[in-house]
This record gives sequence, structure tokens and C-alpha cells, in this order.
Amino acid sequence: MSPDRPGSPDHPCGPSVSRLIEQFSRLPGIGRKSAERLTNHILNCPAGDALALADAIRTVREQVRRCSVCFTLTEDDVCRICRDPRRDRTSVCVVEQPRDVVALESSGAFQGVYHVLGGRIAPLEGIGPEDLTIDQLIRRVRQDGVRELVMATNPTVDGDGTALFITNLLQNDDVTITRLARGIASGSVLEFANREMLADALRGRREL
Amino acid sequence: MSQEKTEAIVIRQAEFSESSRVVTLFSKDFGKLSVLAKGVKRLKGPFDAGIDLLSRCHVVFIRRSSGALGILTEARLAARFQPPGPDLMSLYGGYYLAELLNGLTEDDDPAPLVYELAVRSLDGLMSDVQDSLSVIVEFEIGILRLSGHLGDLTECTACGTSFLEPSGAHTDGSPAPGRLVHWVSQGGLLCPSCCRPEYRKRSMSAGSVAALRQLGRMDRQMSARVRLTKQQIRECHQFAVSAIAHVLGRRPKTLRYLDIG
Repeated sequence: MSPDRPGSPDHPCGPSVSRLIEQFSRLPGIGRKSAERLTNHILNCPAGDALALADAIRTVREQVRRCSVCFTLTEDDVCRICRDPRRDRTSVCVVEQPRDVVALESSGAFQGVYHVLGGRIAPLEGIGPEDLTIDQLIRRVRQDGVRELVMATNPTVDGDGTALFITNLLQNDDVTITRLARGIASGSVLEFANREMLADALRGRREL
Repeated sequence: MSQEKTEAIVIRQAEFSESSRVVTLFSKDFGKLSVLAKGVKRLKGPFDAGIDLLSRCHVVFIRRSSGALGILTEARLAARFQPPGPDLMSLYGGYYLAELLNGLTEDDDPAPLVYELAVRSLDGLMSDVQDSLSVIVEFEIGILRLSGHLGDLTECTACGTSFLEPSGAHTDGSPAPGRLVHWVSQGGLLCPSCCRPEYRKRSMSAGSVAALRQLGRMDRQMSARVRLTKQQIRECHQFAVSAIAHVLGRRPKTLRYLDIG
């Protein structure tokens, strides 16, 4: 690496600049060039803005934790959704990650509560049921009178396998287990839907 | 750089960036290869939702002559892996198959017979009429045979004595009457007189050895006719796992999900 290139150990602006470039380039989707641009922005913007960013990062790391009920991210012991009395606690939507809760909430179509597994069973990556919050989900179903579980894990081999694993664990419990529908999107045209979408839509057809 | 086209099974995926993954494919014409699939997680793109684990697809990719990661440019789904019913054994069998394909084959080493075996085994695991345990054992023996790790099952690995008529004699460390011994480190069988207590070995019934020989012949019609008993499935599987673990230098990690005994 050339000595005058930002981010090299002996960067002319000093080691603190190198360190910031290094830290930025660790973020997802940020390459070396983008990290250098962000560092330049931090160096050129008002000091207050830069320190506000640093403070926001510190605060979010110190205050955000897992909800003790559903395991999504929250600043309180119990998240806003779990505390909401208008939510139907007998209907639980099971998702892989907290960001899936955000995506489903943006649809506004689900009035129940959530359970975040923290991933999916992925044997090839060494992720087993013990690495997820499956035990807590089973306990929740049995203790909290849950009537319906909506399996909203990703429609992949791993996601389907995780949903099936949980379904098998609860096969003797009085709970209805459903899977998110898959197939063609509203407003699209059949002619341009791919083969897999059409096959899924046909398999998941429902009575009118 | 050259653009190539082939049919392949997705055997592994690793996150690369927000929307991209490094995908390991086992292909019909080029063997195992890893490619970067840019934007694979986006709904719209050139991959037609084909890049999921164990799915079979027609792919187009750019090979890098320097040995760097190739780029996947297109994928069209040929068959998605969809195990039948609520039984997880077929699904876990699929994972195990992917792990063996990844571990027992080399990069850029074409193995069309292994590919054919893998496609047949995945179809078998998706079928609701075929027994998934038999499919798994047939695949294990088949891939060991095709990758050159299955020894000669008709004679003693040490002295060459024919096993087609097992004598059944036994001394210290030798098999009980009617049983033979799998010499794990050599991948073959041992006769009672060559058997030593210090060898890492596993005892097998003559019936299981006969079943192994039939499965190892890789005769598709013959294999279809082989009906294994539970004991034969267990013993053939243990034989295969010993050999696979010896080659890999570890026990396959997906094995813990398979309840074969």
C-alpha cells in the first residue's frame, strides 16, 4: 500500500484517520473507497454533527437490547409491540431476524405479536436449534395460550426446514400453524410471472 | 476470462455483502466451483429465484483464469429441492449430501458421474415412494466409489484372500463367525487372520458386505432392486461414515441430524 493512500498505517493525516477508515470499511456494503469518502465527510463536516453521530452509535449500542418476550430489538425490557394492549397475543408471527418484524409491520396487515428466532436452522453452517430461541417459543406457546403460529421464516430450504422443525415439535399441541403464502404478487401479470412463482401460487390457491 | 454454461446443484452459500453471496456449485461439466452471485438476494434479477440450497439450475458464469472467484451472471431454475411431507429426514439427507459433495470433491475437477448420482439421490429424497435412508446410504457408497475411496470389497485388503465365501473363523480381535471387518484407515475389508487388535476397525455382517458390493457396482438398475434391511442400512452407513470421516479428517457435521443408528 502506498504511504500517501488514506487508510494505510502511515497515512499522512495520522493514525486516527487510518483507524476511522478501517472501522468504516468493516460495515456491510462499505468498501475501501466509500470508507475514505465517509472519513473525508466526517473530517469536513461541523464538529457537532460528527460528535452527534458518534454519540448516536454509542447510545444505540448501550441502550438497545433484546425484548424479553419476543427477542426483537428494543430500548426497554419489553418492546412496544409486546406492550400494546390492542395486539392479539394469541397469534404469534415467527420470524428469523428483527428486520423481518420491521418489514412485516410496514405492511400493517398483522395485528398479532412476534417471535424472533435469531436466525434459522442451517446445518451446513453449524447453526442448530439450540442456537435459536426455539425453546422460548415453545414455552411461550404452551404458557401464554397461543392459538396460531404464523411461520414467516424466509421461503428457502433453511427457512422451510426451520418452520417444519418447529411444526413437528408442536404437533401434539392445540395450536394452528400456518405458513406465509407465496406466489404471484398483486398487480402483476401472469404472463410475466416465472415458473416457480406460478407453481407456488397454484399450490397455495384458496377457495373464494 | 471466459463465459461458461452448465447445469449445477447449489451446495453451499455464504454471505458476501448485503445483497450478494458466494455460491458453491457442483456442476455437471466443471465439477465444484465457487462463484460470486451479485444481487442474488434481490427479488428481481438474473437469477430467477434459482439460487437456493440444493436447487438444480442452468447457470452461466464467467471464469477467471487467475484462479480468482468467478462471477455468476445468470441462473434458471431446473428443479427446486422440496422434500415430501413433514418428515425432516429427507431434508437433512439433502444437507448431508451437499456436505459430502463439498468435502469429497475437488474444485474444477469434472465428475459427471458424481453429478448424475447427486441428481438421482436428490430426486430420490424428494420422492414419497423411495426410502430416504436407502437413498442416503446409496449416495454415500456411490460417492466413495466414484471418488476412489472405496476399497475392493471382494478380497482382504492385507493378504488378498477372497471374501466371496467368508470363512467366519475368529481369533483375538477378529470378527465373530459370519461377520467381516472394515479396516477404516485402508477403506477395505480384512480377513480374520489379518485382523489385529490395534487396527481401527468395524465389524460387519456378511449380508451387509454383500449389500455394499451391490451398491458399489453403481449399476442403476441393480441398485434400484436392492432392498436393504434396517441392519444393513445401519451397517452400510457406519461403514461409509468411517470411510468419509477418515477422508475428511472429521465427522460430517450434518450427521447429527440424521437418525440412522
